[in-house]
Amino acid sequence: MSELDLTALAVLAAAAGDPAGYARRWKAENNRPVVGSFPMNFPSELVHATGALPVIVQESRTPITEGRSLLPEFYCSYTRSVADQAAVGELDVFDAFLLADHCVQLLGAADVIRWAKPEKPMHFAQFISSMDDPWSGAQVLDKVRALQAEVEEIVGVTVTPERLSHSIRLFNEDRRLLREFWDRRRAGTLRITSRQLQVLVKSSMVMDIEEHSEILRGLLANLDPDEAAPAGLVRLHLSGHFCAPPRPELLDLIEECGVLVVNDDLYHGARYIDTDVPEGVDPFDALALWYLDRNISAPCGTRVQRNVDWDEYLVSSVEQSGAQGVIVLMAKFCEPLMLYYPELRKALENRDVPVLLIETEHEGLAEEAVRTRVETFVERIHRNEMKVGSSVS
Amino acid sequence: MSLDLATAPTEPLDKSNRLASTRAGGKMVAEYWDNIFTAKERGKHVVWYNGTALNPIFQAAGLEWCHGEAFSARLAAMHLEGPAQAAGEEYGYIGELCSYARTHLGCAVMTQKGITEKQSGIVGMVDQDELASKLPSPDFFVNAYAGCSTGQQWDAMTYRVFGKEFPIFNVSLPMIWGNKPDAGYLRGAEWETTPLYVEEQLKKLIEFIEYQTKRPFDWDALSENMSYIKRASELRLEAMALCAAAPTPATYWDWVASIAPINFMPANQALVDYFQGVKDEIQYRIANSISAVQNEKYRVYFDGIMNWNKLGFLTRKFAEHDVAVVAGRYTHDSFWQEPDLIDINRPLLGMAQHYLICPINHGLKIMEELLIKRCDEYGIDGIAFHSTRTCRAMTNPQHILAKTAERDRGIKSFFFEGDVADASFYKDESLESGLVAMLETIDQQRSRRA
Ligand code: SF4
Ligand code: SF4
Repeated sequence: MSELDLTALAVLAAAAGDPAGYARRWKAENNRPVVGSFPMNFPSELVHATGALPVIVQESRTPITEGRSLLPEFYCSYTRSVADQAAVGELDVFDAFLLADHCVQLLGAADVIRWAKPEKPMHFAQFISSMDDPWSGAQVLDKVRALQAEVEEIVGVTVTPERLSHSIRLFNEDRRLLREFWDRRRAGTLRITSRQLQVLVKSSMVMDIEEHSEILRGLLANLDPDEAAPAGLVRLHLSGHFCAPPRPELLDLIEECGVLVVNDDLYHGARYIDTDVPEGVDPFDALALWYLDRNISAPCGTRVQRNVDWDEYLVSSVEQSGAQGVIVLMAKFCEPLMLYYPELRKALENRDVPVLLIETEHEGLAEEAVRTRVETFVERIHRNEMKVGSSVS
Repeated sequence: MSLDLATAPTEPLDKSNRLASTRAGGKMVAEYWDNIFTAKERGKHVVWYNGTALNPIFQAAGLEWCHGEAFSARLAAMHLEGPAQAAGEEYGYIGELCSYARTHLGCAVMTQKGITEKQSGIVGMVDQDELASKLPSPDFFVNAYAGCSTGQQWDAMTYRVFGKEFPIFNVSLPMIWGNKPDAGYLRGAEWETTPLYVEEQLKKLIEFIEYQTKRPFDWDALSENMSYIKRASELRLEAMALCAAAPTPATYWDWVASIAPINFMPANQALVDYFQGVKDEIQYRIANSISAVQNEKYRVYFDGIMNWNKLGFLTRKFAEHDVAVVAGRYTHDSFWQEPDLIDINRPLLGMAQHYLICPINHGLKIMEELLIKRCDEYGIDGIAFHSTRTCRAMTNPQHILAKTAERDRGIKSFFFEGDVADASFYKDESLESGLVAMLETIDQQRSRRA
């Protein structure tokens, strides 16, 4: 087992904790635009190919104030936070915004940005969300081209196939490096907390990709041997939580309850890095293919596809990692997750995989109540294992 | 259990005067659903669909069609939504999920149990007497939901509740985002091109239906259906325009009662006659100085999906305060509202265009344009925003629309809490206090102007 170089990790944590601050510094040093985009399927490579800094706008930890009078309280924490950030000026560093995902709540937040910052371009190239129709591929390619035109206009640079291919290689490399951490966690050869993994992936969404990869390479090179993970921990898979990361305190809390997280399909986790953009084909086509591929490698409740099921993916992922249970983390009011949750639960329960649902909110964490639920869940898994063990012996 | 009289909303005085002609619509709709329930016995193909009004296509194809939102709304309006919502909850749907969706998904769970009962011979899994359990099982699904991502995901889940046994066809309706300088309501390059993409998908939908029904599609029947819809729509709009008169001869609540006919009733002469009857009654009222609200003092616009559990209650409630709710986004900017777009020689294009001008499918700029237009047309004094708890699509621009109305026209507004099909979210005190405060402000504005 190995541990991480905490100093290098702190650099990533600083960027992940203050994306706007990082973007301001980058802009001052590079004198080029910063373009904000939104989860969960935006191809950052396209912005990178212009020389601008692509940043996926993150949920802010600051309390929601002015945003309260702009989006209703029954919106997910990410969209309420984005609306608030627009209103209080936290998004001022961005020169433009680009959006490809159709989520009704996200569009509400995007409209707030348009209203609060009318001078900033805010383009929506709606990627089709029905993934397996005969026209899906052509539609996505059309929208990739539309995004290309928009970003070229914003930055004033033409995206040549060569530039785009170069950006694709860099982002693929960064994803590959990130996946090494996930692979090592699954294999049990790296002791890394979920909080740390979140830092790794979140920082990749907001940092210059080459700088990010360089730090990852350093981290991987300097992994020290360490003792094995304590015995008796319950192996769990964390699922869900679209668009915004769950609070790190929640991840800590889960792990404090005798849990070893062995895998996840969180957006600020494996979902974000699972799929590479194909190389060796036309790079614009490749971005369209990447979008379609993503829902196959990690199916998502925000997309619809007849021949792909998130529940089946989850079950097989659990089987592969040997997870003994699943915690579904749901940002409160996230409709696609609310819709898909019963299917996840049904599939897991049919395979006797225990499942626990935890809803999260921007405003905080009911720590003791959640701790009790996780502890009870862990005990339940222990009891089940003992029953299975005794009936086998 | 005793009722807490201190907190229970008291029944308002009835100063409203609803149109009598809309009762014919209620009868049409009741007969329609009764007929649907027997579709299987009659050997009909049944399609379940959500979202936009694809029914003229289904009708031309000889199908029987079950509209998801319409059935949820019906259950809620009849206060019979409980069993479906309970079935949905048991299946795992959380109470904050779109209540149209979870009511309908609950119906799907009940229908699916009915199928299992038939196949297994085990009875008692579902109460066959419940209205919510009476939907015939689908032969296939069609989804075409504008503006709201939940709409498409909801059908993807219905498809899974039935174990992916029945095929599904998705029509993807892009949002009219309206970001370019030339963009606006029914104008700009985005508007010119997007319907063509949808029209092509509708052609594919028809091929899919032909495959499912093993029958060639009747294009003449579609044109005929659209000619009835066009005429019914013209009459509806003419009748609505008459309500610019003050006092108004009919209110938003009458238009709510007329949603089902225009949204999913068969396209035929009876539909045209219905709207002719509504228009005639309104003309009669104008000629005889009959108003829809006794002592109309304020003219209000309603924004938000209807709160179906409270239709009668809200009608009386607003009237009690001398408020005529004369127009609304849900009624006036939906449901074949641009009949000039319908060309019976090329019906699919006009249909595609209508699907795209669903009032939740526009970006903010177009919504603002439409709101101001309606406020001017109907002489609006104030806006009631129904903060429809589980419908994010209707609520997402509301706060900004309120600011726009105030900024551009000095029009005041208030928000009240409720929901489309879940009565538990309705907060009478938020309506009462918000409405009273808004009316006081309007009074002050008027006295300042006087
Ligand atoms: S997918 Fe969920 S978390 Fe993301 S914006 Fe939509 S509602 Fe919010
Ligand atoms: S949230 Fe509103 S618009 Fe969306 S599916 Fe539900 S009722 Fe329809």
